[in-house]
Amino acid sequence: MLAVTPADLIMDHLSRRLEALLFIAPRPVPAAALAASCEGSEDDVSLGLAELAVEYAEGRHGLVLREIGGGFSLAVADDCAEAVRRHSGLERPEDLSSALLETLSVVAYLEPVTRADIAEVRGVSSEWALSGLVERGLVEEQGRAATPGAPILYATTGRFLKLFGLRSRAELPPLEEFALEAGEVEEIRARLLSNAARRRP
Amino acid sequence: MRADATAVAAPAVELELDLDVFDGPFDLLVTLILRDEVDIWEVRVSRIIAEYVLRLADSGEFDLDATSQFVVLVAALLEMKSRLLLEGEVEDVLEDLDPDEAARLLVDRLVRFGQFRNAAGALRGRWATHAGTLYRNVPLPTALLRRPEPATRLHRRLLADALAPLLREPPVPDTSHLADLAVSLVRELRRLRRLLDDSGGFTFGAVAPAGRVERAVTFFALLELHASGEARLRQTRHFGEIHVARCARPALAT
Repeated sequence: MLAVTPADLIMDHLSRRLEALLFIAPRPVPAAALAASCEGSEDDVSLGLAELAVEYAEGRHGLVLREIGGGFSLAVADDCAEAVRRHSGLERPEDLSSALLETLSVVAYLEPVTRADIAEVRGVSSEWALSGLVERGLVEEQGRAATPGAPILYATTGRFLKLFGLRSRAELPPLEEFALEAGEVEEIRARLLSNAARRRP
Repeated sequence: MRADATAVAAPAVELELDLDVFDGPFDLLVTLILRDEVDIWEVRVSRIIAEYVLRLADSGEFDLDATSQFVVLVAALLEMKSRLLLEGEVEDVLEDLDPDEAARLLVDRLVRFGQFRNAAGALRGRWATHAGTLYRNVPLPTALLRRPEPATRLHRRLLADALAPLLREPPVPDTSHLADLAVSLVRELRRLRRLLDDSGGFTFGAVAPAGRVERAVTFFALLELHASGEARLRQTRHFGEIHVARCARPALAT
């Protein structure tokens, strides 16, 4: 006879399989892919993931369950990260400069965009910033525009979603939320006019 | 404003032009084009280049600065011409703006940019919170991949044999069948001009050299003389003799 284990300590069989899949998966796995691997319905998988989320809530294990970059992934709990870094030598990615962040925000909100689109918004050529973002794997080429010269189109990557803790691009706050306030607009206008008046001979 | 800037920056190119629409120094032509007094559609840039190459060959000197300047200006002309092919010229729109309208556009642009700068600030906040999170991020072990490994292991000798031909120095190509071509359009133009000046006219058959390539160059030189208005060509039937006669050129007579 098997020893009886309290039922509330055992995870549902589906949740355990999901846990195994997430343990081995090298990148976030979409719910549909999890359902296919478990031969279950997406509804069942959602329930299983909910159970797993409770199990892997912050503070219970060294890992936490995150919904990120279009899928689900196990991540190292924040308070355990330091030890993992010491062991693996992994370092936190270098912070991004203002130019890189500005260029990234233009790409993220307007994608897919051409270099010219970015320059149009920023008012300066963004070649360097764009290549910096491509180098860091935050932005990638995504085909060419059907306009004269067929310029390259750029869009954000899955790595962008991961590093900024986003489930998808739809989770970005609407651009309208960042509109300048009336006072700020007035300030810009006044500054421009006073500059122009100073330059006038 | 643009015209003034270019006129100041382009003092070095001294080239007298004699084109259909313009007769005078190259610098002046560039200035006139920039001031919209000469239509760039009417200017054959290839002719300007041909004239310059001729002059360069005649002078026998090569001034790197002046030539660079010339290349830059010609490139600018070509760019202007090719831009005209594209619709919706942005600069024209901007040039027509009155200062108030321009200021309003600039404010709009700064306001729009401010929105993205604020968004960038929000991204910076997210980055601070999330960029340090460690996810499992390794390729799957080969054993867990669905794609099977090649069934048979290939011997490393095979790889070496396959690479060896690539490492061998290729034989130098035999160029003995190629004769050195010493045909120069510039020289031929000069020779034909001299013939025209001396005799006032000639036939193609009488002056063309024997070789095929040389004859072709002579023919091109004739076309160039015709295009520049220095010579008149006449041919009474197909493949018949070409009669070349000098045109009266008031510009040269003075």
